[in-house]
Amino acid sequence: MRGFFATFRMGFKYLWRSPVSAAILIGFPIVMILILGTALSSYISGETDLEPAKVAVAADPQGELAAFLRSGEIARFFTYTFTDINEARRLVEAGEVTAAVIEDASGTEVFCEAGEGFDASLALAVVDSYQEIGSAAAAAAAQGRDVYGILGQEIAVRDVPLGMRVPSATDYYAVTMLVMILMMCGTNGIEMFGKGLLSDTGSRSLLTPVSKAAHVGGLLAASTVTSFLQGMVTFVFTAAVYGVYWGQRVPLVLLALFAVVLLSQSICIMLVLLFKRPDAASGLAQGLFYVLTLVSKGYSKINFGAADAVFQYAPNAMAHTVIFGAIYGGNEAKMALYLGLLFAASAVFFAIAFILGRRRLA
Amino acid sequence: MIVSMTGIVKRYARHTALDHLTMEVRKGEVLGLLGPNGAGKTTAIRVLTGLTAADAGKTALFGQEMRARAAEIKRRIGVVPQDLALYETLPARENLWYFGKLYGMGGAQLKSRTDEVLEVLGLTEVAKKPPKKFSGGMKRRLNIGCAVMHRPELLILDEPTVGIDPQSRSHILDFVTEMNAQGTTVLYTSHYMEEVERICSRVLIVDAGRVIADGSVAELTRTVLFEETVVIEVKNPAPSLPDSIKNIQGVLRCDTDGHILTVTSTAGSANLARMLECAAPFVILGVTGKRPTLEDAFLALTGKKLRDGGEGE
Ligand SMILES: Nc1ncnc2c1ncn2[C@@H]1O[C@H](COP(=O)(O)OP(=O)(O)OP(=O)(O)O)[C@@H](O)[C@H]1O
Ligand SMILES: [Mg+2]
Repeated sequence: MRGFFATFRMGFKYLWRSPVSAAILIGFPIVMILILGTALSSYISGETDLEPAKVAVAADPQGELAAFLRSGEIARFFTYTFTDINEARRLVEAGEVTAAVIEDASGTEVFCEAGEGFDASLALAVVDSYQEIGSAAAAAAAQGRDVYGILGQEIAVRDVPLGMRVPSATDYYAVTMLVMILMMCGTNGIEMFGKGLLSDTGSRSLLTPVSKAAHVGGLLAASTVTSFLQGMVTFVFTAAVYGVYWGQRVPLVLLALFAVVLLSQSICIMLVLLFKRPDAASGLAQGLFYVLTLVSKGYSKINFGAADAVFQYAPNAMAHTVIFGAIYGGNEAKMALYLGLLFAASAVFFAIAFILGRRRLA
Repeated sequence: MIVSMTGIVKRYARHTALDHLTMEVRKGEVLGLLGPNGAGKTTAIRVLTGLTAADAGKTALFGQEMRARAAEIKRRIGVVPQDLALYETLPARENLWYFGKLYGMGGAQLKSRTDEVLEVLGLTEVAKKPPKKFSGGMKRRLNIGCAVMHRPELLILDEPTVGIDPQSRSHILDFVTEMNAQGTTVLYTSHYMEEVERICSRVLIVDAGRVIADGSVAELTRTVLFEETVVIEVKNPAPSLPDSIKNIQGVLRCDTDGHILTVTSTAGSANLARMLECAAPFVILGVTGKRPTLEDAFLALTGKKLRDGGEGE
């Protein structure tokens, strides 16, 4: 146990002092948020964070969905054109609207063209959150009413806690960024295991009476805790400086963030033990995490067509869903499933890392 | 017996690093492991300390097998690796603290030992600086410090003075001698002859993964070399002097160059007194023994120079 704590303390200090991780740690999130956040707030002026986006709605103008779209604060995000399904699709394709909300026998669907730019992604983000987690319902709830939200493919009546608010662009952006940053922090694990286990310095530790388990545990704890705290820097910073709303269920948000940290640690440690070369592992991990961020939508909305069905299980995507859900209200069963999947995936990668480690260090 | 390694074989894909290496380290000695680059010194230490598994052979430390009592045995050993093994961004003090902690130290004892080690290694001034800002010699000293925090019974140093200035080197050699005087058994690897001659009570010469000679520096040079040379400077020697010296038992040659006689004898002839007797009638200006060095011994044993050119670091 003594070895564990000594290694933890050493590793913690080592990571905070390491110029690379210091850059990732503090510089990266703050610079990103400063640049993009500033760009964002200057882009979005006035009271609303979002420019009203033109949306075609293929639904009964007197129906439940239409009432919902017109309700409360939601309306201010959109200007609606009620029409039929084919026309709605045509309008999207012609670029006359940024998205179409289509209701047919199978349920509700949001339709848009890939890559229409910033406006569309803002609009889509809201429509999407609306669909996924009932943020529109939250908006209406702010008016003190029991409201409707659209969950998945179905319209359902649900209660939304009062005090919730409609996500702004910055809120979306912050969630996406934070999840990505925490993923990137996995490279802490690479640095820690590269130095503390695979280098000459690491070998030296294995010459001491401390057990390998305590040593490895200490390294893992150090990189995990460091990564999590790094994420907290962004978390607090976005809340304090940009007024990003992290919701009422902060412990659940933090749990989701922790799941992300654990997952990225497990992937990174597996990679460094696989390649035995920290630089190679680091490059690969960073590339992987950028791709995962991209396919996970969140703030940026690129349409990957059929692949999106798979990409909703990308770790970042699952984390987004859980976090948005925790903040704005979402499908609890789905959130629990996604959280469980994140932890399970970490367990699998850690197990692989463990087997690799045994073989490599034999 | 502190260490005994018997018939150790270690093969790498294309290369046999240790070829039935057998050696012992006795309590209280400073044993030098001398050998050229690639001789297998580091590999021997890695096998000894359990970092690398041997393909064949037996290793015992303090009379026990490492496998059986790893933690207990490791606590009694300090290892200074050949390559610097430090956390370069953490202060010197933090490095010492960490390794002390890993060896089970703590509290006030750890603190005072840290101060002490900083002091004897001359690092007190820079205790708060990270080693990445150190000179090569300071890094080497800290590298040693991390291995001695827990006052090991056996200290293993793998080329601890590579690439450093003479002062740091001298400091390190004195430190090792002092540790030995306090009862630490030392296994010292080097390819610097002067170091081994200066601090080691016994030397093993290793080449191509095997021990090819074992003895004190004096023994090795004596038994290994067949010849030893004395230079005698005599004022106006008689022409017959070289001949009478040649008749002395053990003398192989006597070359004259004016008033300088270079006498070569079989090693260990102990015939200097007889030579001086012959020269006594004349005025002897000086006598210089050209003693064989370990370097010569090595050359004679292996046909190789110990330090191949360009080996600085
Ligand atoms: N991991 C390895 N894989 C393959 N060959 C190795 C490995 N480690 C050592 N060797 C080889 O084993 C031989 C002995 O190496 P070792 O490092 O023990 O020599 P050394 O006596 O310590 O040399 P030096 O004075 O340069 O430190 C060398 O020929 C080296 O190339
Ligand atoms: Mg070596």
